[in-house]
Amino acid sequence: MTLDASSLQVVKATDRRLRRTDRSKGASIALHAALIGASAIAVFPVFWVFITSLKPDARAVEPTPKLFNESSLDNYTRVLSGEKGDFLAWFGNSVLIALMTTVIGVFISATAGYAASRFRFPGKRGLMMSFLLVQMFPFAVLIVPLYNILIALGLNGTSIGLVLVYCTTAVPFCTYMLKGYFDTVPADIDEAGRVDGLSPFGVFWRLIMPLAKPGLAVTAFYAFLTAWGEVAFASAFLSAADESKTLAVGLQVFVQQNRTEWGHLAAASILVAIPAIVVFYLVQRFLVQGLASGAVKG
Amino acid sequence: MRRFLDRYWYAYAMVLPVVVVIAVLVLYPLAQGVYFTFTNINEGNIANPVLERPATFDFVGFKNYLNVLSGGDSFGAFWGTLVRTLIWTFSCVFFHYTIGLGLAMLLNRQVRGRTLYRVLLILPWAVPAFISAFAWKYMFNAQYGIINQLLRSAGLPDPVWLGQSNWALVSVIIVNTWLGVPFMMVALLGGLQSIPGDLYEAAEVDGATPWQRFRHVTLPGLRSVSSTVVLLGIIWTFNMFPVIYLIAGPNPNARILVTYAFERFFSGASRDYAIASTYGVLILSVLLVFATIYRRALRKQGEVW
Amino acid sequence: MAEVSYVKASRVFSGNPPVRAVDELSLEVADGEFLVLVGPSGSGKSTALRMLAGLEDIDEGAIHIGGKDVTNVPPKGRDIAMVFQSYALYPHMTVAENMGFALKLRGVAKTEIKAKVEEAAKMLDLTKYLERKPKALSGGQRQRVAMGRAIVREPSVFLMDEPLSNLDAKLRVETRANIAALQQRLGTTTIYVTHDQVEAMTMGHRVAVLKDGLLQQCDTPRALYDRPANAFVAGFIGSPAMNLKTVPITSEGAKLDGVIVPLSRDAIAAAGGLDEVTFGIRPEALGIVPSGEEGMEMTVELVEELGADALVHGAVKIGDASQRFVVRVDGRTPPTLGQHVKVAVRDHSEIHLFHPETGERLEA
Repeated sequence: MTLDASSLQVVKATDRRLRRTDRSKGASIALHAALIGASAIAVFPVFWVFITSLKPDARAVEPTPKLFNESSLDNYTRVLSGEKGDFLAWFGNSVLIALMTTVIGVFISATAGYAASRFRFPGKRGLMMSFLLVQMFPFAVLIVPLYNILIALGLNGTSIGLVLVYCTTAVPFCTYMLKGYFDTVPADIDEAGRVDGLSPFGVFWRLIMPLAKPGLAVTAFYAFLTAWGEVAFASAFLSAADESKTLAVGLQVFVQQNRTEWGHLAAASILVAIPAIVVFYLVQRFLVQGLASGAVKG
Repeated sequence: MRRFLDRYWYAYAMVLPVVVVIAVLVLYPLAQGVYFTFTNINEGNIANPVLERPATFDFVGFKNYLNVLSGGDSFGAFWGTLVRTLIWTFSCVFFHYTIGLGLAMLLNRQVRGRTLYRVLLILPWAVPAFISAFAWKYMFNAQYGIINQLLRSAGLPDPVWLGQSNWALVSVIIVNTWLGVPFMMVALLGGLQSIPGDLYEAAEVDGATPWQRFRHVTLPGLRSVSSTVVLLGIIWTFNMFPVIYLIAGPNPNARILVTYAFERFFSGASRDYAIASTYGVLILSVLLVFATIYRRALRKQGEVW
Repeated sequence: MAEVSYVKASRVFSGNPPVRAVDELSLEVADGEFLVLVGPSGSGKSTALRMLAGLEDIDEGAIHIGGKDVTNVPPKGRDIAMVFQSYALYPHMTVAENMGFALKLRGVAKTEIKAKVEEAAKMLDLTKYLERKPKALSGGQRQRVAMGRAIVREPSVFLMDEPLSNLDAKLRVETRANIAALQQRLGTTTIYVTHDQVEAMTMGHRVAVLKDGLLQQCDTPRALYDRPANAFVAGFIGSPAMNLKTVPITSEGAKLDGVIVPLSRDAIAAAGGLDEVTFGIRPEALGIVPSGEEGMEMTVELVEELGADALVHGAVKIGDASQRFVVRVDGRTPPTLGQHVKVAVRDHSEIHLFHPETGERLEA
């Protein structure tokens, strides 16, 4: 905003004028108080796990919890050194499976979402409806038939089988969201690309994908989380050998009958949460924009 | 036919991967799952390729459905569980939506540190669900949990949260609310940002109070986002099993349809796949009926969706 | 460089009943010609252009570019460049990348692309902006980038779909002249779509008028103005629009407000057998005459002062009904509101007669 001398004088003369964007002091304090309170509730469980992760198992179950109690990084050392199971192998498996789910899931939802956004073709409505149907079915109950089919395909016990299963849970929502996002990219861009000499696939790959980064980021985040934290399928489909477990499955060793190793569990949890939070931090600035256009257009 | 392919092959080529994955990994298992509901299949009589044991289960007709729908305790007290599922679903989605909308409206204002608040508020979404479940289970613990310690120090009663009482259901609703608010908040924040500012200016010039602006500009502006996310929220919450399963375990006071299906599936002496599948089909039916009514209601209000 | 021809080309959108957005369009565009497609919204002008670009199916008939049938050729095989109404600049590419994209796809060497882009940028005064993203440009600059993107390709045909409609009035007039000059200089066949008849008249070598998917007339701007083929073209071309009224006809001429406007013998012969005709006369062919002379009685209802001249809108009684007429008069001595004036035909050679039902021009 530019101010010249005369306008400054006017401000002085009327002493204090109410600007439209001004808020009373009380309202400001209330606003910040509400946001701080909500943020505290949102963060506290994670903070408390972190606090716990520094305590020995015995100190973690004292009747009056303290913030620090013989705190050290010992739990982390023991978890990482593999004393409590092959943590690093689990971590590697989880990263591999989550990344594959993300790449495959995002790619196939993007192609399907683009087709649904740009082309009219017989069966499109049915396809979109079936996505909604897929969301409705309790997958946990499909484990036996899924297991059978993975055996038939020769994929039981392999990561790729698990990745495909995760894709089925992530893809319907991702496709809906990306379709909505692609709808916001003007069709003129596609046509300009066609005239400039691209094939329909070329348009998709070289123009639409780069333009849809916010939407893709959100979808990737969603697909990654789907795979990263999943327990039921991972324990059912991966072989029981310790070195082929994912984190979510492996961490069950800390929860033994009647005696949970809370300190170690907390340390491992923090280690598991870090990659998810990093991914989240990378995409968070796209989240609002990406999710909104997807959900608005449905 | 040639012309048909000429015209549509791009579109079909692009949806093909999704269709194949969904058909193979959803529709086929779904069909098989439906078939199981008419048999007495369980761990003991299913074909086992590893042991090279052939299947020995029998066709039993509608017996599973009769057993479940008669509501007997040995088959999960279907009707009571359905009611609990509805309470669970609607209270979760209600809190998700109202708290999410409230926070979205706060974040949609000019406020210092908005980005930081947003990051902190979305955090619960980024934490893998099984870790959140551990964290809350630990915090809810009756002896050494932080929540009861805080309640005691404030002179309030400290219930046994995860015991054999309805507190268990309250606990899991609290946790699921904590988990689900960020998604709603982000979606609604996006919706709020897509409402053109001049609508508010027009309303203000027309003399609308803040409440009237909220009622007649904000809510209608959020309608299409809301109708989508609420439907998704209901479907997801209805089928949300990790939270309850990991926090409350097989506690009948926090049992909903899907956790019971999973219980039948994984625990018990004989892993009753038939009953689990029957529950699955019933869950799907309930949701289908609900989604149809929901869409019809929306269409009646002129929403094209 | 190439000529373009539409051979009974149609675009039919399925529906009940099917919509013939472009109906058996036949049109020959010569090499190097600037042809404008003009019509009201929904006339099929944009669809016709998009058919030529390969962005719409050609359901019937054919389209040739440079003598080659391109009916089933995808856009990239047609050697065309297009300027879109929204400009359709790629938001993630800089101006230079936008302009060079088509060449890059064709595998042209980097140095050559750079040279061509720079040359086009110089021509369009964009050199300073080559490294910017479209977001950071003004509307006029974006428009020029869109033009540049088309020029760099050196296509055999330019297609422009209302390229000026997102500019403000002043810039539009300026850019209009620039595009016409550029086309003159490059000598590339150009098909230009607009809904603005002023744009059409000022830019086109020839103008094709479309309505409801049907070609009404295709001729030079002068010929369209002087000899419109039907009542629609007569009313569409020219601003303000021609006065078109259905009036009774006698053996001496057309009857307006008791005044008989004499018509040529040929014209009367062409209207042979009709009781009524659609009588058309442009505001500039009418004039206000002193009250003593013969003319139509008109009550002034509105005076639009344009500076050099003024437009007088008023009511004239024809038969029992009161009809509106517009007369162009000298700007310095306009009548006042409510005044009764006498209006007479200044130039009898500028009277147009059309069939009252078909709208066809009546001529011997």
